[in-house]
Amino acid sequence: MKRNFFVFALGFALALVAGWIVFPRVLYSHQAQPVDFLHKTHAEKSGTADCESCHVFNPDGSFAGLPQNDTCAGCHSDKLGTSPAEAKLVDVYLKTQTTTPWLVYSRQPANVWFSHAIHVKRAGLACADCHGTLGASDEKRLYEQDRISGYSRDIWGHSISRLRRAPHDGRTMSDCEDCHHKRHVEVGCFGCHQ
Amino acid sequence: MKVSRRDLLLGTAGLTAGIFFTPVPWKVLDDVSIWTQNWPWIPQPARGPVTTKLASCTLCASGCALRVRMAAGYPVGISGNASHPLTKGALCPLGFAAHQLNWHPARLREVRHRGRTASWDEARAAFEKASAEGPIAVVDGRSGRAASTVLQSFADKHNGTYEVVLTAEERALSPYAQWVGVPVSALGYDLENARTIVSFGAPLLDGWGVPGRFTHLWSERAASASDPQLRLIQIEPAFSRTAAAAWHWVPTCQGTEALLAASLAKVLVEEHLVPAQGPLPPASLTEAAAQTGLTPTAIRDLAYSMVERRPTLVIGSDDNPAIAALNVLLGSLGTPGGIVKKPTTPSVTLQISAKNTPPRAVLLDSSVPWEYVPASGVEVFRFAAWDGGGNRADWLLPSPGFLEETTDLPTPPTSARAVYGIAPSLLTASAQLGTAADFLQQIDATLPTVEQTIHARCEAIFRSHRGSVCGEKSSPITGFESAVKFEEALRSGAVWLDESPAATPLKCALKTWPTNNPAHTTGNWANTWAPPVMPTLAAKLYRESSLRETPQRSQS
Repeated sequence: MKRNFFVFALGFALALVAGWIVFPRVLYSHQAQPVDFLHKTHAEKSGTADCESCHVFNPDGSFAGLPQNDTCAGCHSDKLGTSPAEAKLVDVYLKTQTTTPWLVYSRQPANVWFSHAIHVKRAGLACADCHGTLGASDEKRLYEQDRISGYSRDIWGHSISRLRRAPHDGRTMSDCEDCHHKRHVEVGCFGCHQ
Repeated sequence: MKVSRRDLLLGTAGLTAGIFFTPVPWKVLDDVSIWTQNWPWIPQPARGPVTTKLASCTLCASGCALRVRMAAGYPVGISGNASHPLTKGALCPLGFAAHQLNWHPARLREVRHRGRTASWDEARAAFEKASAEGPIAVVDGRSGRAASTVLQSFADKHNGTYEVVLTAEERALSPYAQWVGVPVSALGYDLENARTIVSFGAPLLDGWGVPGRFTHLWSERAASASDPQLRLIQIEPAFSRTAAAAWHWVPTCQGTEALLAASLAKVLVEEHLVPAQGPLPPASLTEAAAQTGLTPTAIRDLAYSMVERRPTLVIGSDDNPAIAALNVLLGSLGTPGGIVKKPTTPSVTLQISAKNTPPRAVLLDSSVPWEYVPASGVEVFRFAAWDGGGNRADWLLPSPGFLEETTDLPTPPTSARAVYGIAPSLLTASAQLGTAADFLQQIDATLPTVEQTIHARCEAIFRSHRGSVCGEKSSPITGFESAVKFEEALRSGAVWLDESPAATPLKCALKTWPTNNPAHTTGNWANTWAPPVMPTLAAKLYRESSLRETPQRSQS
């Protein structure tokens, strides 16, 4: 009887280890950004802690998204230092006028339409409400991609169980719905889906 | 230590039980469901610069104004444009997702002749041969368009017949057209001035006429009020959503609407609720009560409700002369709040040919609903953007899909005011696609083109100095410098709205109470929708929007 319990418990424990520790490591593939980029360093050296300095809104109100090469070239038209990352940016992308293939942590699926303009300008959300401390991070963060769904890990969130998450961790449909419910904003299916 | 079979089974049981205390099942289930949405053959919306363009829906004759969100030049989202004077931003569930239609698997992209691939030249040669051998019937699903002019001109010039497939709303106006001698296209419902609307099964709040027109009126004047300014009496066996929201729902037995209309008319006349200005029906109140499932008192009360707050407008769901005759009796013909004659849009009038010679071949425009099947024994040339299957057409000719064709939008059926708009093409149609109008014009180059007709119509409307242009801002037509500027405004999403028509008395030739068998259909947006397929995104909404609850109080 004791042996039976032990064998069962062993299987149970193995499942817990596999599910909580091994599974998340196997599920996500890791890719480095094309150029190592540190938000904190850029904010400190440029003296602008404001996200909109680089992630601008167009004159028509729409959000431009990631900065294009000409924004980077504003400072890095030539190498400013000896960093290999800067050298790669200048030589490989800026001088050849090749778009830097940034891997976007928070990119939503193609069937979703998300307007930064509405959320930031109209609803008054701060960037950190959704993106957390990304703007102040000093880590060379890898892009993690779900091997099955193909989505960025930031969509599901870093907590594999989605329990005890930070408020900004995770951007699934239920996260959007929760925020909308809290703010009493109803947009319907077609407000986000296309 | 020897591992026994029992150990293996117990270990597996422990693993299985344990896995349910990890995120694995839930996360894998979520991921797999996403994975199935992203199979390589499933079309994905394009990524690119996002812009918004104004356009108009061409799925039915309502011509709802659209705000189309484009990504990388492709439509990825649709919402209503509130500047449209009739729809005021409303759309039906199909319109909301119509941008997906062009990627539907049933999209017709090549000419087909009895199941095999053919060419446009073969189709043209076959049509010319048929045209030479006998008369041709050209069938249009949406009359009054510039393309309709081309279709009718071809039929007239080649000794053919031009026929129009009417929607349920248009068929409901047919009896009046017959009695007052005015074409169906010139008649409309003056909903805005009515104070009581008696609907015999017309789904006014869930799919009737121009989306948004009645629902806006209802929300402004009736919703949630115990004694609304606008009373809606819904006579219908099923407890539909219209019935649920109506001021008063009268459940009757299916197919007894004409008898109920006759008995109501009898009460109205016999109890002097209306001046006897029409024929008296031969119905007996007791017989009507027995067949409709209502009591004689309920019928009498209903008749009193109809005249308590006038003007009263009676609307049928289809061609039902007895229901139409109620409007004659109530004096709601040619008066505000009733059936009115709307002024015709300058140069948009079409006279429908009436020839009875059996045709040798039939050409069906893509605006004709897919389920329309012409009489057998003739060669059928069917234009369509989607192949819904089960169609007996000999030739299936691929036509432009949603937003791939420039067309004009004449006044929608049921409207009491004339409107005119132009639906611009936002996408370039493939060279393999063609419209019926283009097809006929390639055969007879003397026919006017759609573009020429649109120009001529804009010119005629501009010269009439009537009405206003509703765009981002509303402005009188006299504020435009030229017809070209006016046309440019229409092509960029604005709509011309005629002035409110003065009430034109209509002389009615109805002498005896109509007793012929009426049609029994329930019309909604889907009935007027030409394509046989449904956009994926709309599937759920559309199904739900067409749900009708089981009758609770009706008798079979």
